Amino acid sequence: MIWLVAIAIALVPALPATAQTRAAVPAGRFEVDAGGGWLGGASLGSADANLRAAAATPAPYRLFSVDTRLQPAPTFHVKAGFAFNSRFGVEGGLTFGHPELRASVSNDVESAPPIAVAERIDQYSIDASVIVMIRELAIGQRTLPFVSGGAGYLRQLHEGQTVVEQGRVFHLGGGIKHWLMARDRGFISGTGIRMDARLYLMSGGIAFDDGPRPHGAVSGSVFVSF
Amino acid sequence: MKVALLACVCVAILSQDAAAYLQFTASAGGQTRVLKWQRTPVRWFAADRGAAGVSASDFQGAMARAFATWEAVPTASIAFQFAGFTGAQPFDDDGVSVLGFQDHPEMDRVLGATGFLIDALTGEIVESDIFFNTAFLWSTAAQGDPNRFDLESVALHEIGHFIGLGHSAIGETEMRPDGTRRVLGSGAVMFPIAMGRGITQDRELQPDDVAGISDLYPAGGFRESTGVASGRVTRNGTGVLGAHVVAFNPASGGLIASFTLNTDGEFEIAGLRPGPHVIRVEPLDDAGVDSFFNRPSAIDVGFLVTFYDRLYVAPRGGAGERVTVAVRPR
Repeated sequence: MIWLVAIAIALVPALPATAQTRAAVPAGRFEVDAGGGWLGGASLGSADANLRAAAATPAPYRLFSVDTRLQPAPTFHVKAGFAFNSRFGVEGGLTFGHPELRASVSNDVESAPPIAVAERIDQYSIDASVIVMIRELAIGQRTLPFVSGGAGYLRQLHEGQTVVEQGRVFHLGGGIKHWLMARDRGFISGTGIRMDARLYLMSGGIAFDDGPRPHGAVSGSVFVSF
Repeated sequence: MKVALLACVCVAILSQDAAAYLQFTASAGGQTRVLKWQRTPVRWFAADRGAAGVSASDFQGAMARAFATWEAVPTASIAFQFAGFTGAQPFDDDGVSVLGFQDHPEMDRVLGATGFLIDALTGEIVESDIFFNTAFLWSTAAQGDPNRFDLESVALHEIGHFIGLGHSAIGETEMRPDGTRRVLGSGAVMFPIAMGRGITQDRELQPDDVAGISDLYPAGGFRESTGVASGRVTRNGTGVLGAHVVAFNPASGGLIASFTLNTDGEFEIAGLRPGPHVIRVEPLDDAGVDSFFNRPSAIDVGFLVTFYDRLYVAPRGGAGERVTVAVRPR
């Protein structure tokens, strides 16, 4: 990601001095974007290691309890988008993270001390989003807020990458785009930076149930439009 | 054919090699063979004698249901066939597998037992008999009888031995004042102590039982679709013999276990659903050690319950990372 940022920053002074920044108007139809962020953690559910109780009642006999959680982790992403007009656009992206899956073991029947055990997973999500630029809330000439929403495919690989879990991911959020440069001519018609805040709802995958689990996420990126 | 009689499966025979699940083995000519049926369907006879409150027909019905439960495991390949009623008795060494009631008032803590006639050179089981002790009252009632032991539940356990499985140690017990143990909970039909009168829950196999029969008679892609956990249990750097190692899959709730079966402390647990597992090591202190091993004095029970300090991810087929659990003395 660092080299992408460096390239984008380097592009700005390299552009002709005649380049003009327009008033909060997306500068090109196509856009690519790369950056990084932080995906918040979420509970993946609890489970008891139960024995069949020696009683006529069906209540189980608990050996120990396990509470699992996906820990917060940095993420990296690339996106590609297309603007239908100055307000609406679509984009698709790939996000990668390497979070820790942590299981907290407690309530052992033989009083073993609580312990947290973990593994690292590789997590990929491929999603498609609709972007709506809120031109009415433009901040100055170069900064536009937007909202976005979409859905995608979640792929998680356990440590050793021998076991794959698949799920779904939905997201809703918003952010701001700030144009560092925009112009009407040339191959590159604009560059800028973008900040996103999203609420992800992930289901399936490594979770114990299919219910959606919320993850908060923030990210920042550099975009180039053509 | 050279044959040797193993009198009772309540004592498991220690394997020289680490193996998944506790299976019976026999040594001949310097080689260790796992005991199993090699020709199926396995034919069995029901003794034509009933017991108080249980007719011979009721008895046969309960046995047939228990055999069918084992046979229905989709990842195992063994099959059984009821061959008829017989006047022969269990434990007659006649090459015929007979299940029936017998009077053993002197065995006041034994509900039933299973014996084998085997070919010691190949490990093939050629006969297996089961008796149910009429010193106890039995029931075949659908909902059980609070004053009697459920025949089908105990039959399911004994038939586990009949096919070559040893005892599982997934269970918790407490000592009674008279020195006997009361079961609080069990995670396997093959746990060596029966649940109690009137309880019919052990008519259903648990994941540990399914893993056991599937490991012994694999079918239906068992080896390819499940993973293995293998590793060592050590204490002060030295292998622990007889430690009970349990793998828990939080996603399925399944508990599957094995033992360290050599002095290097090596173990292997087969039949794990792919995905993360919590691994717990405990001493064999919830049943008599002689229920599992024929040299109880060699078994180390002087350590504390210990969890493996990582999540173990069982692969789809084969084994994942090697696990080492260092236990602390009590």
